[in-house]
Amino acid sequence: MTRRLGIWAAMAVIALGMLSFELPSEINSDVLAQKTAGDELLGVWEPSNGRARVKIDRIGTKYYGRIVWLLEPNDPETGEPKTDINNPDAALQDVPLKGYRMLKDFVFQEDGTWTEGTIYDPLSGSTYNCVIKMTDENTLDIRGYIGVQALGRTDVWKRLAMPKR
Amino acid sequence: MQHLRPQTWLPFVIFSLAFIGCSGPETVHEYKVENLEIVLAGPLFEGPNAGQFELTLDIPGALGDAYAPGMKVADARLQRAEVSAGDSLGFAQVRSFVLSFASDNEAVAMEEAAFVNPLPEGLERVALNVAPEAELGPHAAEEKLYVVLDVDLSEDFWDGDRLFLLNFELSLTLQSKR
Repeated sequence: MTRRLGIWAAMAVIALGMLSFELPSEINSDVLAQKTAGDELLGVWEPSNGRARVKIDRIGTKYYGRIVWLLEPNDPETGEPKTDINNPDAALQDVPLKGYRMLKDFVFQEDGTWTEGTIYDPLSGSTYNCVIKMTDENTLDIRGYIGVQALGRTDVWKRLAMPKR
Repeated sequence: MQHLRPQTWLPFVIFSLAFIGCSGPETVHEYKVENLEIVLAGPLFEGPNAGQFELTLDIPGALGDAYAPGMKVADARLQRAEVSAGDSLGFAQVRSFVLSFASDNEAVAMEEAAFVNPLPEGLERVALNVAPEAELGPHAAEEKLYVVLDVDLSEDFWDGDRLFLLNFELSLTLQSKR
């Protein structure tokens, strides 16, 4: 009887040891996999109209996209670089449009989408809810909407190669 | 005149009293952050480049004796922000600065809070134009927040980093626990 208990105890210790070894590594690999998958979004992207290029970076755990290039960077009337003249906050209307974060606060989800973010339309000064879906490694579906996702509009963005030295 | 029955108004009165009862008095405090090192990691390209700093506000430390356990941030506004050069390159080829605050919390959106555009020439230190409407309370209430400085450069910098020092002051409205 004592011997049988000893065998059970030994098996239990081995099983616990395996558990304590396996669980953390599983969690760590999940976290790393999630981070890597979310970072696929990083890079420079061009909307379908070709009038701007947007660089997506990560700040903390969320993703943000800045305008880094404009087809028409200057105001045709003044000749000066364009600013965010339609910003609803008047105090920010002189912020340069080039560099403006038009994509904000996207969170990577397990289903491979980036949600909870917003997209800003500098032409109207309006901000919309937005979902990003990567259809292949060089193509994004950017869906802006108000309220209901089904009533939104999708634009296709293409990845640009970064310049090399 | 038609009178409302107690069943109609009593819940509202109870709710209002409970709300008032739970909310303590508010006090306003200045919170200064000095010489925050914002590094732009090279190579840097012509156009906007971002540097960030992960910041934890030490409100109990800043308030000292004025701090009471349970105080919560009810509101925060940027009062002043200033950038100075942190390396020998100074403000060379810098066209503008934009200062924003962000958080990992999904419910807290990034806020632009100050900028200077265009950057006047010949300066080594510049005060940013502050957007007084930018609500930074949700950011200040977080355990950590991200201070983001966007720097628009007029040409590429392939070798090395750029360093800028940021000073800013927040006006914090703190609510005491009753």
